[in-house]
Amino acid sequence: MRLAAALLGVLLATPAWADDCPLDLGRGTGWVVFSDHYLMAFRSDPLRIEVGEPFALLVNVCTRRSGAAELLAVDANMPEHRHGMNYRATIVAKGNGRFRAEGLLFHMPGRWEITFDVRAGSESERLTHDIILK
Amino acid sequence: MIRLLLLVSLLAAGAVGVRAQHLLDWSAEEIRAVGQHGPWPPPPVQDPSNKVSGTPAGIALGEHLFNEPRLSGDGRMSCATCHQAGREWSDGLAKARGAVELDRRTPSLWNIGYLHWFGWDGAGDSLWAQSIRPLLDPREMNGGPTRAGELLRSDAAFACGYERAFGSRPGSDDERLLVDTAKALAAFQATLVSPRTGFDDFRDALLAGDRESASRYPLAAQRGLKLFIGEASCNLCHLGPRFTSGEFGDIGIPFFVRPGEVDPGRHGGLGRLAASPFNLLGKYNDDASGSNARRTRHVQRQHTNFGEFRVPGLRQVGRGGPYMHNGSLATLEDVIRHYSEVSPDRLHSDGIPLVRPLGLTVEQSADLVAFLRSLDAEALARPSPAPLCP
Ligand SMILES: [Cu+2]
Repeated sequence: MRLAAALLGVLLATPAWADDCPLDLGRGTGWVVFSDHYLMAFRSDPLRIEVGEPFALLVNVCTRRSGAAELLAVDANMPEHRHGMNYRATIVAKGNGRFRAEGLLFHMPGRWEITFDVRAGSESERLTHDIILK
Repeated sequence: MIRLLLLVSLLAAGAVGVRAQHLLDWSAEEIRAVGQHGPWPPPPVQDPSNKVSGTPAGIALGEHLFNEPRLSGDGRMSCATCHQAGREWSDGLAKARGAVELDRRTPSLWNIGYLHWFGWDGAGDSLWAQSIRPLLDPREMNGGPTRAGELLRSDAAFACGYERAFGSRPGSDDERLLVDTAKALAAFQATLVSPRTGFDDFRDALLAGDRESASRYPLAAQRGLKLFIGEASCNLCHLGPRFTSGEFGDIGIPFFVRPGEVDPGRHGGLGRLAASPFNLLGKYNDDASGSNARRTRHVQRQHTNFGEFRVPGLRQVGRGGPYMHNGSLATLEDVIRHYSEVSPDRLHSDGIPLVRPLGLTVEQSADLVAFLRSLDAEALARPSPAPLCP
């Protein structure tokens, strides 16, 4: 059981305005999510998410104004089935906007919505990204 | 001559036509889904939390302990009393019978070593931790905390078998010897891998594009399999080579065990897991890296866990039964009827639409049963174990 669309081979060219917060995840692969205020790049470890197997997410999160932002929480749910994970991720800050969320597990194939709660200063926001597991 | 050729080619076409009738059309997407239920058998179990996992000496000791009634309080009950080789490693009863009748069915041990959560409520996070529970439980073998240690020290054959498996004579630490007993039991149980089945032959042939072999799989089973991976979505939970996610679900089986008393299922199991000195976060985990404890570290107890029970694997399912965690359904036909007619009102959680009445026709129900029965095969008879230290 593997990630349907193999990891999007997004080349994470770092925009000029994000100098202090590189979005490079080290392998040239990953997903990018952004909003009006935030830019975020993440990839899974291991790179391929298997149904029923624990995995971690490496996350870099920045503000559009090129500062490092904070990752508060990572969670996931299956919107069609109205259930979440049976596991709770914990987050370790690696400095300079880099984080590792450990202990995620998708126990079912289908569409999972991953939510990232990010914050810079007093302003927090929820970013989401969908992954389809087959 | 031309006529003859025509006749021959018509006959050939006819033969192909007849054969083609025995194989339904399988889309690339369906073939991929079928492929996920194999290959079989899987590689042997290696449990890093158990240092005797996969070792011949550990397995041999475990098999003898498995059949050893002196591990029980009254000296009359062994693991094999309820987990019988001739009954698919269960007992054929609706509810397990230890020192008293219990509220849940004896789960089969087939393919148990590949799980990550053990027991109907997942209170165990390793096969060895789970094996301690019935040894101690007053309702089951009622062995008490020192019995395993006393047996390993006092019986010459067991003492020798222990030394071969663990590398030293049994010491005086009874809790350690209880854990080691359970680890040997687990090493043995992890070798119980169910045989290849008609489904496996079909799956391999379908993936290899071998239409002739694939067409030997009965049509009813093919139709049932299409339902299983398609409309009925059984494979959302019964997935992978063992036909289980190894996780937990509420499928609308009433969870009152007696008037006014419920079986909380996974919710209770997670409470016991956290309280157990034998869980993978404790000192008896042999995996120094601790990476095998990730599930235990991150699992969360939620109110939706009430009334959830472990999703059982489906290999050998037709030879087992009664069904469900409480043995409340007698036959596979009853199980299919449950899923066909289950009332959403019976579900305890907030309307998770995974389990819904499938409204199957009589033929569809029979097809699903035919498919499930294709997951059965006759296991080779087990020879009695060789003496531990002859
Ligand atoms: Cu789901």
